[in-house]
Amino acid sequence: MAGLLRRQAVPSTPEAAVRADVVAGSLRPVPEFCQIVDAHLHDVIEQTGEAAEAIVRQMLKIDSLAEVMAGDVVRLAGTLDRTEDQLAQAGDSNAQLVDRLVRYFLFRDEQVRALVDEMRGLKKHVTQIEEVSKATNILALNAMIEAVRAGDAGEGFAVVADEVRKLATRSAQAASGIGTTIADLTARLDAVLTDDSNFDENVKTDLSAEDTAMTRRLSGIAQAQREMSEMVAGILHDTVDAALQVRQSSDALTVETTGAVGHVQFQDISRQMLEHVADAVSQVKRQVEDTIGYAEGGVPADALIARTISVDELRSRHVMSRQRVTHGEKAGVAAAADDTPVIELF
Amino acid sequence: MTTVMLVDDSATMLMSLKSILTKAGYSVETAGHGKEALEKLAKGVKPNLIISDVNMPQMDGITFVREARKAPGMRFTPMLMLTTESEQTKRNEAKSAGATGWLVKPVAPDQLLGVIKQVVPGA
Repeated sequence: MAGLLRRQAVPSTPEAAVRADVVAGSLRPVPEFCQIVDAHLHDVIEQTGEAAEAIVRQMLKIDSLAEVMAGDVVRLAGTLDRTEDQLAQAGDSNAQLVDRLVRYFLFRDEQVRALVDEMRGLKKHVTQIEEVSKATNILALNAMIEAVRAGDAGEGFAVVADEVRKLATRSAQAASGIGTTIADLTARLDAVLTDDSNFDENVKTDLSAEDTAMTRRLSGIAQAQREMSEMVAGILHDTVDAALQVRQSSDALTVETTGAVGHVQFQDISRQMLEHVADAVSQVKRQVEDTIGYAEGGVPADALIARTISVDELRSRHVMSRQRVTHGEKAGVAAAADDTPVIELF
Repeated sequence: MTTVMLVDDSATMLMSLKSILTKAGYSVETAGHGKEALEKLAKGVKPNLIISDVNMPQMDGITFVREARKAPGMRFTPMLMLTTESEQTKRNEAKSAGATGWLVKPVAPDQLLGVIKQVVPGA
């Protein structure tokens, strides 16, 4: 059988005769070579496995952080939403307070104005007193004249005295009126300052029609308060929007990391492909060892032929669609179309 | 909560699939090969779905499915094979052993979740 192999492999000229020891010697490094290649392949498998595991762990960590961030952002958005509501309520409350204050001051203005009007009424009493004073002066003059004539007409003094008495009465009445009015005004001013029970805050007043120094100032305060509330509400609203965008980005990040984690399946696929390559290398090694054994006389030709590696057998071990396509391309054989579905439910 | 048992000798596959399924709201049990998975079933783990690799040390996926069908309460539990292999012969073997379906790696997360919803009522 050894002769048969030689006949198949080389021309039959004596100078070209194959020397088995040369063949064995040339093939001897191949098994060790294959062992080293196999070791390298397993190194690659191990290292890519470790790298893939590390990638998945990192991805899961990123994913976990993204979820924590999303939770924080949701809580922040909730807090900001509540703050925005509270601010709006405080703004409404302040506006109502300013409104009540305007009404209250208008009420007080009205009361004070009424008192001022009444105080103007005191002028009437003052006029009366002035009249009394003038009449008294005239009477005094008359009395002086009558005094000159006293001896002649004593009765004139009686008339003057009567008139003076009347004037005194009128003066007393005027003084009493002034006193009463002042007491009344004092009491009412005191009431205005201490008692506002007559103020009804529910009475609707068209405040826009009121234009006093006080309403202008209060309206200015109310406007400033409204503008500040709107500004803060705007900031809160923008912050809530930003928080929601962060949440969306976080969700998108989670989707991406999930997809990336899915892609790490490549490591399992490449591991199995490399294991197939390592298996093929081990077959080459065995074949070479057999051939060396045959050349050295340790392996019978029948055994060598029976254990010869086969490209078809290699193909049968290619269980992945892509492996079969690659095999077909390199072997110059058109690969059969792989019509098996990626997902099949039985 | 729906419990899924993952059986694969690749730590990377177990981690990545567990992450995808946990995030989708499933409870996950894992095993590194068919024998370990059978031991878990014997200890009382009752998954609503099993997803198993085919080529694994100690006990391959198809043998595992055949044995798992004999476990109490596992007769009608969906069992999916998730493998790199696409050959029809192996699929037929898995079907005969009692597998519910065959998925070729790599499978996208949304595809996997879609299949789970198909085979597990109410998942």
